[in-house]
Amino acid sequence: MATATDMKAGKRDGILVAPLQFKGQRFTRADLVFTGVDHSGGSYEVLVFLNNPRATDTTAHDAEHGYGGRFVIFGHGGCYGDVGHCDVPTQRAFGDLRPPHHLTPTTKIVTITAALQHVMATNRDGLKTVTLVPVAVTPRRKDRAVTAELFRFDDMSLRTYLAGTDRDLPATPG
Amino acid sequence: MQVRVEVRSMTSDQLASFRQAVTASMGISDDRGYSAWAGIHGLPLPISCQHGNPLFLPWHRAYLYLFEKSLQDQVAGVTLPWWDWTSTASHTQGVPDSYTDTSADNPLQSATVAISASDIEQLRTSFPGVMSDGDNPVTVRDPDVPDALPRAATIDSILDAPTFEDFSNRLENVHNDVHVWVGGSMSIIPIAAFDPVFWAHHAMIDRLWYVWQMRHPNVSVPAPLLNSALDPFPLTVSQVLDISQLGYEYAVAAIT
Repeated sequence: MATATDMKAGKRDGILVAPLQFKGQRFTRADLVFTGVDHSGGSYEVLVFLNNPRATDTTAHDAEHGYGGRFVIFGHGGCYGDVGHCDVPTQRAFGDLRPPHHLTPTTKIVTITAALQHVMATNRDGLKTVTLVPVAVTPRRKDRAVTAELFRFDDMSLRTYLAGTDRDLPATPG
Repeated sequence: MQVRVEVRSMTSDQLASFRQAVTASMGISDDRGYSAWAGIHGLPLPISCQHGNPLFLPWHRAYLYLFEKSLQDQVAGVTLPWWDWTSTASHTQGVPDSYTDTSADNPLQSATVAISASDIEQLRTSFPGVMSDGDNPVTVRDPDVPDALPRAATIDSILDAPTFEDFSNRLENVHNDVHVWVGGSMSIIPIAAFDPVFWAHHAMIDRLWYVWQMRHPNVSVPAPLLNSALDPFPLTVSQVLDISQLGYEYAVAAIT
Protein backbone atom coordinates (compact mmCIF):
# COMPACT_ATOMS: atom_id res chain seq x y z
CA MET A 1 0.00 0.00 0.00
CA ALA A 2 1.09 3.57 -0.66
CA THR A 3 -0.50 6.54 1.06
CA ALA A 4 -0.92 9.94 -0.51
CA THR A 5 2.03 11.22 1.50
CA ASP A 6 4.30 8.56 0.00
CA MET A 7 3.92 10.05 -3.46
CA LYS A 8 6.79 11.72 -5.27
CA ALA A 9 6.42 14.42 -7.86
CA GLY A 10 6.20 13.24 -11.44
CA LYS A 11 7.44 14.81 -14.61
CA ARG A 12 4.98 17.70 -14.38
CA ASP A 13 3.17 19.51 -11.60
CA GLY A 14 0.24 17.42 -10.41
CA ILE A 15 1.60 14.06 -11.54
CA LEU A 16 2.29 11.62 -8.71
CA VAL A 17 4.70 8.69 -8.62
CA ALA A 18 4.06 6.06 -5.96
CA PRO A 19 6.59 3.49 -4.84
CA LEU A 20 4.61 0.26 -5.02
CA GLN A 21 6.59 -2.96 -5.19
CA PHE A 22 5.29 -6.29 -6.41
CA LYS A 23 7.60 -9.10 -7.37
CA GLY A 24 5.13 -11.62 -8.44
CA GLN A 25 2.91 -14.31 -7.19
CA ARG A 26 0.64 -15.89 -9.76
CA PHE A 27 -2.59 -13.98 -10.29
CA THR A 28 -5.54 -13.92 -12.63
CA ARG A 29 -6.75 -10.45 -11.71
CA ALA A 30 -5.04 -7.40 -10.32
CA ASP A 31 -6.74 -4.25 -9.07
CA LEU A 32 -5.38 -0.94 -7.91
CA VAL A 33 -7.71 0.23 -5.16
CA PHE A 34 -7.87 3.91 -4.24
CA THR A 35 -9.64 4.81 -0.98
CA GLY A 36 -10.79 8.14 0.33
CA VAL A 37 -11.09 9.63 -3.14
CA ASP A 38 -12.49 13.16 -3.16
CA HIS A 39 -15.34 13.99 -5.55
CA SER A 40 -16.48 17.33 -4.21
CA GLY A 41 -15.06 19.55 -6.95
CA GLY A 42 -14.89 19.40 -10.73
CA SER A 43 -14.79 16.18 -12.72
CA TYR A 44 -11.42 14.58 -13.37
CA GLU A 45 -9.79 11.42 -14.59
CA VAL A 46 -6.68 9.68 -13.30
CA LEU A 47 -4.48 7.83 -15.77
CA VAL A 48 -2.44 4.96 -14.32
CA PHE A 49 0.97 3.90 -15.61
CA LEU A 50 3.15 1.08 -14.26
CA ASN A 51 6.94 1.45 -14.08
CA ASN A 52 6.85 4.66 -16.07
CA PRO A 53 7.66 7.57 -13.74
CA ARG A 54 8.00 9.94 -16.71
CA ALA A 55 4.44 9.37 -17.92
CA THR A 56 2.23 12.38 -18.64
CA ASP A 57 -1.21 13.01 -20.09
CA THR A 58 0.23 12.63 -23.59
CA THR A 59 1.89 9.25 -22.99
CA ALA A 60 0.53 6.49 -25.21
CA HIS A 61 -2.08 4.19 -23.71
CA ASP A 62 -0.31 0.93 -24.47
CA ALA A 63 1.59 -1.85 -22.75
CA GLU A 64 4.96 -0.57 -23.94
CA HIS A 65 4.42 2.62 -21.93
CA GLY A 66 2.99 0.81 -18.93
CA TYR A 67 -0.57 2.06 -19.32
CA GLY A 68 -2.79 0.28 -16.81
CA GLY A 69 -6.13 2.03 -17.16
CA ARG A 70 -7.96 5.02 -15.74
CA PHE A 71 -10.82 6.05 -13.53
CA VAL A 72 -13.13 9.00 -13.90
CA ILE A 73 -14.69 11.08 -11.13
CA PHE A 74 -18.03 12.72 -11.96
CA GLY A 75 -17.60 15.80 -9.84
CA HIS A 76 -20.08 17.30 -7.41
CA GLY A 77 -19.02 20.66 -8.77
CA GLY A 78 -18.37 22.62 -5.60
CA CYS A 79 -20.59 23.77 -2.78
CA TYR A 80 -23.81 25.71 -3.35
CA GLY A 81 -24.95 26.01 0.25
CA ASP A 82 -23.97 28.16 3.18
CA VAL A 83 -20.79 27.73 5.19
CA GLY A 84 -20.54 24.14 6.42
CA HIS A 85 -23.08 22.70 3.98
CA CYS A 86 -20.53 20.49 2.29
CA ASP A 87 -18.47 19.58 5.35
CA VAL A 88 -18.46 15.80 5.66
CA PRO A 89 -19.16 14.72 9.26
CA THR A 90 -16.15 12.94 10.70
CA GLN A 91 -18.36 10.57 12.66
CA ARG A 92 -21.96 10.03 13.58
CA ALA A 93 -23.34 8.58 16.76
CA PHE A 94 -24.51 4.99 16.90
CA GLY A 95 -28.19 4.93 16.02
CA ASP A 96 -28.03 7.98 13.75
CA LEU A 97 -30.12 6.73 10.82
CA ARG A 98 -29.29 9.53 8.43
CA PRO A 99 -27.60 8.29 5.26
CA PRO A 100 -23.93 9.03 4.66
CA HIS A 101 -23.10 12.57 3.59
CA HIS A 102 -23.15 12.97 -0.20
CA LEU A 103 -19.53 14.00 -0.25
CA THR A 104 -18.22 11.07 1.74
CA PRO A 105 -15.00 10.15 -0.09
CA THR A 106 -15.38 7.17 -2.37
CA THR A 107 -13.37 4.12 -3.41
CA LYS A 108 -12.21 3.67 -7.00
CA ILE A 109 -10.82 0.50 -8.55
CA VAL A 110 -8.71 0.22 -11.68
CA THR A 111 -8.28 -3.31 -12.96
CA ILE A 112 -4.72 -3.57 -14.25
CA THR A 113 -4.43 -7.30 -14.84
CA ALA A 114 -3.06 -7.26 -18.38
CA ALA A 115 -0.69 -4.36 -17.71
CA LEU A 116 0.72 -5.96 -14.57
CA GLN A 117 1.12 -9.29 -16.32
CA HIS A 118 3.10 -7.48 -19.02
CA VAL A 119 5.29 -5.83 -16.37
CA MET A 120 5.96 -9.15 -14.67
CA ALA A 121 6.85 -10.75 -17.99
CA THR A 122 9.24 -8.03 -19.09
CA ASN A 123 10.86 -6.74 -15.86
CA ARG A 124 13.01 -8.95 -13.66
CA ASP A 125 12.38 -6.65 -10.69
CA GLY A 126 8.63 -6.64 -11.18
CA LEU A 127 6.50 -3.63 -10.36
CA LYS A 128 8.36 -0.74 -8.76
CA THR A 129 6.30 2.40 -9.33
CA VAL A 130 2.81 3.49 -10.20
CA THR A 131 2.42 6.89 -11.84
CA LEU A 132 -0.87 8.73 -11.45
CA VAL A 133 -1.72 11.46 -13.95
CA PRO A 134 -4.80 13.48 -12.85
CA VAL A 135 -6.49 15.44 -15.63
CA ALA A 136 -9.32 17.92 -15.08
CA VAL A 137 -12.16 16.97 -17.41
CA THR A 138 -13.73 20.39 -17.73
CA PRO A 139 -16.97 21.22 -19.59
CA ARG A 140 -14.92 22.72 -22.43
CA ARG A 141 -12.62 20.15 -23.98
CA LYS A 142 -9.98 22.77 -24.80
CA ASP A 143 -9.57 23.58 -21.08
CA ARG A 144 -8.65 20.02 -20.07
CA ALA A 145 -5.19 19.70 -18.54
CA VAL A 146 -3.16 17.96 -15.86
CA THR A 147 -4.22 19.30 -12.49
CA ALA A 148 -2.72 19.33 -9.04
CA GLU A 149 -5.93 20.51 -7.40
CA LEU A 150 -8.68 17.93 -7.75
CA PHE A 151 -7.21 14.50 -6.99
CA ARG A 152 -7.11 13.94 -3.23
CA PHE A 153 -7.18 10.46 -1.72
CA ASP A 154 -6.06 8.49 1.32
CA ASP A 155 -4.15 5.53 -0.07
CA MET A 156 -3.63 3.18 -2.99
CA SER A 157 -3.11 -0.57 -2.71
CA LEU A 158 -2.59 -3.45 -5.09
CA ARG A 159 -4.91 -6.43 -4.77
CA THR A 160 -4.24 -9.58 -6.73
CA TYR A 161 -6.57 -12.53 -7.10
CA LEU A 162 -6.09 -16.10 -8.20
CA ALA A 163 -9.34 -17.35 -9.65
CA GLY A 164 -10.26 -20.90 -10.48
CA THR A 165 -12.03 -19.96 -13.68
CA ASP A 166 -11.60 -17.54 -16.56
CA ARG A 167 -14.38 -15.26 -15.36
CA ASP A 168 -12.03 -12.90 -13.55
CA LEU A 169 -9.63 -12.52 -16.42
CA PRO A 170 -8.53 -9.00 -17.28
CA ALA A 171 -10.86 -6.21 -18.08
CA THR A 172 -9.91 -4.29 -21.17
CA PRO A 173 -8.59 -0.92 -20.00
CA GLY A 174 -11.10 1.76 -20.91
CA MET B 1 -45.58 -3.90 -20.21
CA GLN B 2 -43.90 -0.76 -21.58
CA VAL B 3 -40.82 -1.30 -23.76
CA ARG B 4 -37.77 0.98 -23.80
CA VAL B 5 -36.01 0.83 -27.18
CA GLU B 6 -32.59 1.94 -28.38
CA VAL B 7 -32.60 5.55 -29.58
CA ARG B 8 -31.53 4.75 -33.12
CA SER B 9 -34.13 1.99 -33.38
CA MET B 10 -37.10 4.15 -32.56
CA THR B 11 -39.76 4.39 -35.22
CA SER B 12 -40.59 7.86 -36.45
CA ASP B 13 -43.88 7.66 -34.57
CA GLN B 14 -42.14 6.66 -31.34
CA LEU B 15 -39.64 9.48 -31.67
CA ALA B 16 -42.39 11.98 -32.44
CA SER B 17 -44.40 10.88 -29.40
CA PHE B 18 -41.35 11.03 -27.16
CA ARG B 19 -40.48 14.51 -28.37
CA GLN B 20 -44.09 15.56 -27.86
CA ALA B 21 -43.98 14.33 -24.26
CA VAL B 22 -40.66 16.05 -23.52
CA THR B 23 -41.89 19.29 -25.09
CA ALA B 24 -45.03 19.17 -22.98
CA SER B 25 -42.99 18.45 -19.86
CA MET B 26 -40.68 21.37 -20.59
CA GLY B 27 -43.73 23.59 -20.81
CA ILE B 28 -44.80 22.82 -17.25
CA SER B 29 -43.25 25.12 -14.67
CA ASP B 30 -44.47 23.35 -11.54
CA ASP B 31 -43.17 20.19 -9.89
CA ARG B 32 -44.59 17.96 -12.63
CA GLY B 33 -42.39 19.52 -15.29
CA TYR B 34 -39.02 18.77 -16.85
CA SER B 35 -37.07 21.40 -14.92
CA ALA B 36 -38.32 20.12 -11.59
CA TRP B 37 -37.34 16.56 -12.48
CA ALA B 38 -33.92 17.59 -13.77
CA GLY B 39 -33.36 19.64 -10.63
CA ILE B 40 -33.79 16.64 -8.34
CA HIS B 41 -30.49 15.21 -9.57
CA GLY B 42 -28.44 18.36 -8.94
CA LEU B 43 -29.26 22.03 -8.49
CA PRO B 44 -31.29 23.64 -7.08
CA LEU B 45 -30.39 22.28 -3.65
CA PRO B 46 -30.68 19.70 -2.31
CA ILE B 47 -28.54 17.65 -4.66
CA SER B 48 -30.17 14.26 -4.27
CA CYS B 49 -28.39 11.96 -6.72
CA GLN B 50 -26.35 9.05 -5.40
CA HIS B 51 -22.88 8.48 -6.77
CA GLY B 52 -19.81 6.66 -5.52
CA ASN B 53 -21.82 4.30 -3.34
CA PRO B 54 -24.01 1.19 -3.78
CA LEU B 55 -27.19 3.25 -4.14
CA PHE B 56 -25.98 4.57 -7.51
CA LEU B 57 -27.90 2.02 -9.62
CA PRO B 58 -31.14 1.71 -7.59
CA TRP B 59 -31.43 5.48 -7.06
CA HIS B 60 -31.15 6.22 -10.77
CA ARG B 61 -33.58 3.40 -11.63
CA ALA B 62 -36.19 5.00 -9.38
CA TYR B 63 -35.40 8.42 -10.85
CA LEU B 64 -35.89 7.27 -14.45
CA TYR B 65 -39.02 5.31 -13.57
CA LEU B 66 -40.72 8.31 -11.99
CA PHE B 67 -39.61 10.75 -14.68
CA GLU B 68 -40.90 8.34 -17.33
CA LYS B 69 -44.22 8.20 -15.50
CA SER B 70 -44.37 12.00 -15.62
CA LEU B 71 -43.83 11.88 -19.39
CA GLN B 72 -46.57 9.29 -19.73
CA ASP B 73 -48.89 11.74 -17.98
CA GLN B 74 -48.32 13.97 -20.99
CA VAL B 75 -48.38 11.36 -23.76
CA ALA B 76 -49.68 7.94 -22.86
CA GLY B 77 -47.39 5.05 -23.63
CA VAL B 78 -44.12 6.90 -24.24
CA THR B 79 -40.97 5.36 -22.82
CA LEU B 80 -37.43 6.57 -22.30
CA PRO B 81 -35.12 5.44 -25.12
CA TRP B 82 -31.66 4.12 -24.26
CA TRP B 83 -28.50 5.24 -26.02
CA ASP B 84 -26.18 2.39 -26.88
CA TRP B 85 -22.87 4.25 -26.81
CA THR B 86 -21.02 1.00 -27.56
CA SER B 87 -22.69 0.57 -30.95
CA THR B 88 -20.92 0.97 -34.28
CA ALA B 89 -23.21 3.88 -35.06
CA SER B 90 -22.25 5.66 -31.83
CA HIS B 91 -18.56 5.03 -32.44
CA THR B 92 -18.99 6.62 -35.86
CA GLN B 93 -21.44 9.45 -35.19
CA GLY B 94 -21.34 10.04 -31.42
CA VAL B 95 -24.51 11.46 -29.93
CA PRO B 96 -27.56 10.21 -31.88
CA ASP B 97 -28.95 12.52 -34.55
CA SER B 98 -32.29 12.71 -32.79
CA TYR B 99 -30.50 14.52 -29.93
CA THR B 100 -28.37 16.81 -32.10
CA ASP B 101 -30.96 17.84 -34.67
CA THR B 102 -31.04 21.64 -34.49
CA SER B 103 -34.62 22.00 -35.62
CA ALA B 104 -36.49 24.49 -33.48
CA ASP B 105 -39.07 21.87 -32.52
CA ASN B 106 -36.53 19.31 -31.26
CA PRO B 107 -36.59 19.37 -27.43
CA LEU B 108 -33.79 16.78 -27.22
CA GLN B 109 -30.96 19.07 -28.32
CA SER B 110 -30.87 21.23 -25.19
CA ALA B 111 -32.95 22.44 -22.28
CA THR B 112 -33.23 25.52 -20.11
CA VAL B 113 -30.98 25.40 -17.05
CA ALA B 114 -33.62 26.37 -14.52
CA ILE B 115 -31.57 27.27 -11.46
CA SER B 116 -31.05 30.46 -9.47
CA ALA B 117 -29.06 33.41 -10.79
CA SER B 118 -26.48 32.97 -8.02
CA ASP B 119 -25.99 29.30 -8.88
CA ILE B 120 -25.64 30.18 -12.57
CA GLU B 121 -22.99 32.76 -11.71
CA GLN B 122 -21.06 30.34 -9.51
CA LEU B 123 -21.15 27.60 -12.15
CA ARG B 124 -20.07 29.93 -14.94
CA THR B 125 -17.18 31.21 -12.84
CA SER B 126 -15.98 27.76 -11.77
CA PHE B 127 -16.74 25.88 -14.97
CA PRO B 128 -16.56 27.99 -18.12
CA GLY B 129 -18.56 26.46 -20.94
CA VAL B 130 -20.91 24.53 -18.69
CA MET B 131 -23.97 26.27 -20.16
CA SER B 132 -24.76 28.83 -22.83
CA ASP B 133 -24.06 32.52 -22.32
CA GLY B 134 -26.66 35.20 -21.67
CA ASP B 135 -29.97 35.23 -19.88
CA ASN B 136 -32.02 32.02 -19.66
CA PRO B 137 -29.04 29.72 -20.34
CA VAL B 138 -29.51 26.34 -21.94
CA THR B 139 -27.49 23.14 -21.78
CA VAL B 140 -24.51 22.70 -24.11
CA ARG B 141 -22.27 19.80 -25.19
CA ASP B 142 -18.65 19.49 -26.24
CA PRO B 143 -18.29 15.82 -27.16
CA ASP B 144 -15.04 13.95 -27.66
CA VAL B 145 -14.34 11.94 -30.81
CA PRO B 146 -16.95 9.17 -31.25
CA ASP B 147 -14.46 6.32 -31.09
CA ALA B 148 -13.46 7.34 -27.57
CA LEU B 149 -16.82 6.12 -26.25
CA PRO B 150 -16.75 2.92 -24.16
CA ARG B 151 -16.40 -0.30 -26.11
CA ALA B 152 -18.59 -3.39 -26.09
CA ALA B 153 -15.64 -5.50 -24.94
CA THR B 154 -15.31 -3.34 -21.83
CA ILE B 155 -19.00 -3.76 -21.06
CA ASP B 156 -18.82 -7.53 -21.65
CA SER B 157 -16.06 -7.73 -19.08
CA ILE B 158 -18.04 -5.67 -16.57
CA LEU B 159 -21.11 -7.87 -17.07
CA ASP B 160 -19.01 -10.78 -15.80
CA ALA B 161 -18.50 -9.06 -12.43
CA PRO B 162 -19.39 -11.65 -9.80
CA THR B 163 -20.80 -9.32 -7.14
CA PHE B 164 -23.14 -6.34 -7.16
CA GLU B 165 -20.53 -4.09 -5.54
CA ASP B 166 -17.92 -4.98 -8.15
CA PHE B 167 -20.40 -4.55 -10.99
CA SER B 168 -21.77 -1.25 -9.68
CA ASN B 169 -18.32 0.22 -9.09
CA ARG B 170 -17.04 -0.70 -12.54
CA LEU B 171 -20.21 0.33 -14.37
CA GLU B 172 -20.27 3.65 -12.54
CA ASN B 173 -16.79 4.37 -13.85
CA VAL B 174 -18.02 3.85 -17.43
CA HIS B 175 -21.04 5.99 -16.62
CA ASN B 176 -18.73 8.78 -15.43
CA ASP B 177 -16.68 8.40 -18.58
CA VAL B 178 -19.71 8.98 -20.84
CA HIS B 179 -20.75 12.03 -18.83
CA VAL B 180 -17.39 13.71 -19.40
CA TRP B 181 -17.25 12.40 -22.98
CA VAL B 182 -20.39 14.42 -23.74
CA GLY B 183 -18.83 17.41 -21.99
CA GLY B 184 -20.55 20.74 -21.39
CA SER B 185 -23.50 20.54 -19.01
CA MET B 186 -23.27 16.75 -18.75
CA SER B 187 -19.76 16.91 -17.33
CA ILE B 188 -20.61 17.88 -13.76
CA ILE B 189 -23.34 16.80 -11.37
CA PRO B 190 -25.13 20.11 -10.63
CA ILE B 191 -26.80 20.50 -14.05
CA ALA B 192 -26.13 17.22 -15.90
CA ALA B 193 -29.74 16.07 -15.76
CA PHE B 194 -30.98 19.15 -17.56
CA ASP B 195 -29.38 17.87 -20.78
CA PRO B 196 -32.00 15.66 -22.48
CA VAL B 197 -29.33 13.10 -23.43
CA PHE B 198 -28.82 12.45 -19.71
CA TRP B 199 -31.95 10.28 -19.65
CA ALA B 200 -30.93 8.19 -22.67
CA HIS B 201 -27.47 7.68 -21.15
CA HIS B 202 -28.93 6.57 -17.83
CA ALA B 203 -31.46 4.30 -19.52
CA MET B 204 -28.42 2.53 -21.05
CA ILE B 205 -26.88 2.22 -17.58
CA ASP B 206 -30.16 0.90 -16.18
CA ARG B 207 -30.43 -1.57 -19.04
CA LEU B 208 -26.92 -2.86 -18.36
CA TRP B 209 -27.84 -3.43 -14.71
CA TYR B 210 -30.90 -5.35 -15.96
CA VAL B 211 -28.69 -7.44 -18.28
CA TRP B 212 -26.30 -8.15 -15.39
CA GLN B 213 -29.25 -9.18 -13.23
CA MET B 214 -30.36 -11.62 -15.92
CA ARG B 215 -26.87 -13.09 -16.13
CA HIS B 216 -26.50 -13.38 -12.37
CA PRO B 217 -29.96 -14.39 -11.15
CA ASN B 218 -28.65 -15.62 -7.82
CA VAL B 219 -26.71 -12.47 -6.94
CA SER B 220 -28.41 -9.37 -5.62
CA VAL B 221 -27.61 -6.21 -3.77
CA PRO B 222 -26.27 -6.66 -0.25
CA ALA B 223 -29.08 -7.43 2.19
CA PRO B 224 -28.47 -4.37 4.40
CA LEU B 225 -29.26 -2.15 1.41
CA LEU B 226 -32.62 -3.66 0.56
CA ASN B 227 -34.68 -1.44 2.83
CA SER B 228 -32.71 1.70 2.11
CA ALA B 229 -34.88 4.63 1.07
CA LEU B 230 -34.16 6.23 -2.29
CA ASP B 231 -34.63 9.77 -1.12
CA PRO B 232 -36.62 11.83 -2.21
CA PHE B 233 -38.56 9.09 -3.98
CA PRO B 234 -41.21 6.99 -2.19
CA LEU B 235 -39.34 3.80 -3.01
CA THR B 236 -36.80 1.49 -1.41
CA VAL B 237 -34.02 -0.48 -3.06
CA SER B 238 -35.98 -3.71 -2.90
CA GLN B 239 -38.88 -2.09 -4.75
CA VAL B 240 -36.77 -1.31 -7.81
CA LEU B 241 -34.85 -4.55 -8.20
CA ASP B 242 -37.31 -6.19 -10.60
CA ILE B 243 -38.13 -4.00 -13.59
CA SER B 244 -41.06 -6.23 -14.52
CA GLN B 245 -42.65 -5.07 -11.26
CA LEU B 246 -42.08 -1.51 -12.43
CA GLY B 247 -43.89 -2.28 -15.66
CA TYR B 248 -41.16 -1.89 -18.24
CA GLU B 249 -38.80 -3.97 -20.34
CA TYR B 250 -35.86 -3.36 -22.65
CA ALA B 251 -35.73 -4.19 -26.35
CA VAL B 252 -32.95 -3.78 -28.88
CA ALA B 253 -35.23 -2.87 -31.75
CA ALA B 254 -38.44 -0.96 -32.08
CA ILE B 255 -41.70 -2.83 -31.69
CA THR B 256 -43.76 -2.11 -34.76
